[in-house]
Amino acid sequence: MPDDLAAVAQLSQVSKRLGGRTVLPALDLVLRAGEVTALLGPNGAGKTTSVALLTGRLAPDAGSATLFGLDPRRPAARRRLGVMLQSAGLPDVLTIGELVTLHSGYYPDPRPLDEVLALAGIGDLADRRCGTLSGGQARRVQYALAICGRPDLLVLDEPTAAMDRGSARTLWSTVRDLADSGVAVLLTSHDLAEADALADRVLVMEAGRIVADDTPAALRARAGGSVIRCRSRLVPPAAALLPAARDAAMDGADLRIVTADAAATTRALLDADPELSALRIADATLEDAIAALLTPTEQRIAA
Amino acid sequence: MTALALPDGVWHREALTEVKRSLRLPQFLLPTVLTPAGFYALFTLALPHDPAPGFAAATLAGYGVFAATGPALFGFGAGVAVEREQGLIELKRVSPMPAGAYVAAKLAAAIVTTAFALMLIDALSIVAGVRLSPATWALLTLLHLASAVPFALIGFGMGMRMTAKGAVAVANALFLGCSVLGGLWVPSRLLPGWMQMVGAWTPSYHLGQLARWIIGADTIGTPGIHGAAVLAMTVAGAAWAWTGWRRSPA
Repeated sequence: MPDDLAAVAQLSQVSKRLGGRTVLPALDLVLRAGEVTALLGPNGAGKTTSVALLTGRLAPDAGSATLFGLDPRRPAARRRLGVMLQSAGLPDVLTIGELVTLHSGYYPDPRPLDEVLALAGIGDLADRRCGTLSGGQARRVQYALAICGRPDLLVLDEPTAAMDRGSARTLWSTVRDLADSGVAVLLTSHDLAEADALADRVLVMEAGRIVADDTPAALRARAGGSVIRCRSRLVPPAAALLPAARDAAMDGADLRIVTADAAATTRALLDADPELSALRIADATLEDAIAALLTPTEQRIAA
Repeated sequence: MTALALPDGVWHREALTEVKRSLRLPQFLLPTVLTPAGFYALFTLALPHDPAPGFAAATLAGYGVFAATGPALFGFGAGVAVEREQGLIELKRVSPMPAGAYVAAKLAAAIVTTAFALMLIDALSIVAGVRLSPATWALLTLLHLASAVPFALIGFGMGMRMTAKGAVAVANALFLGCSVLGGLWVPSRLLPGWMQMVGAWTPSYHLGQLARWIIGADTIGTPGIHGAAVLAMTVAGAAWAWTGWRRSPA
């Protein structure tokens, strides 16, 4: 892989085994300044491991991990990194102000406390002890800790998992502003609406490999225009041969067809199975696009 | 390279915050401060004992080490395991905080707690008639405070490897076991031979003998040997702590 000038963090041919299982066979991943990258994929795809390698909590078995050109395991490399982890806790007996001040002290040029708390939407909570916070408030403190050191790379692991939609949107807009000012952002999320709203680039991971690397819009386009769902006797291989159909699969009891022309496919579908029921047609979402990329669950289990 | 230099005062602020945290947890602070003092009062003031003039001072030598063992083993062993399970260490590990600042801060908190416990025991010993020269007091206090170090390192290594429940159980066993076998409660020369043999493998035994030597009580072996043993155990504890920090992925 040629050196990327805008790269702030990079995994090159990284392999990692954990608990006797190869989580990453040989992963290449580049994060660039000013770009929001969403890392998506099913549980066990290797997202958490990739984040742990980039943030210096794990070392690669082979290949190299670099953060601002240094080994992420060195504290100096993490001086320009801000991380919001899902697994991290907060010390119950410290106030938010004390905790953020302590954390800010690890960085050479931290943001002033008031600014950090305002950006995280917790300006009125500085004197509250961390043990008394709700789940959503605790997440916002984690976000404050991630941005207090003016990071050039911001890693957000399921940032809005415990937040209501309103708080989540506020957080998204501050993340967007940071990215526009040149910060590289790595986002992992189960919420595809979040990835769609924030990301410039979506990486889809499966079994330790990147199976797609594109903009959210291009991924949606790849999935076709619409998704048809119905209860039908038709089997997926037959449905995939319908006019304009791009992909067909079972989704629970539903037959799910991705199509470039919903009208043409639906007409043919009704002819092929006059008794079909529960017909629904919707625009393809990022979720549909990703589902079309991933191996269906049954095949993955059999593999 | 100034860009790689640490911001000023990282270690200092980490330590102050840690001390503040431990003072806000009275349910941890009070038992570790009061237990050693309670035992000392029971055996030297309340119960009838050997009327020898050096008794209260010799007992003080051992109980001071005992007082340092608790905060170090519980603050590090159990405390670190709990913090690891709560994800607090994870929070530190992704920051540029140097690992040493975390350990030093915990050590500072353990030593402050030990200092509280020592103040109580020292006051009780004066009530019991102990009179030492200022230099002896200073040296004894220094040794008692330093006794926290090897136990803190052992505890840290435990905390990085064990579950919170497991670490509490092991810390309890070591707290009581080392103190009994190391001759901190009953002088080693009065213990059965096998207990003395096992006790020689505890830092408590060597620290207790050094404390007895400082106040001029009878000792087994020379201070040089005990000092070397404490040093060796501290180095081994440091290696155990360091490998624990490195191996634990979360």
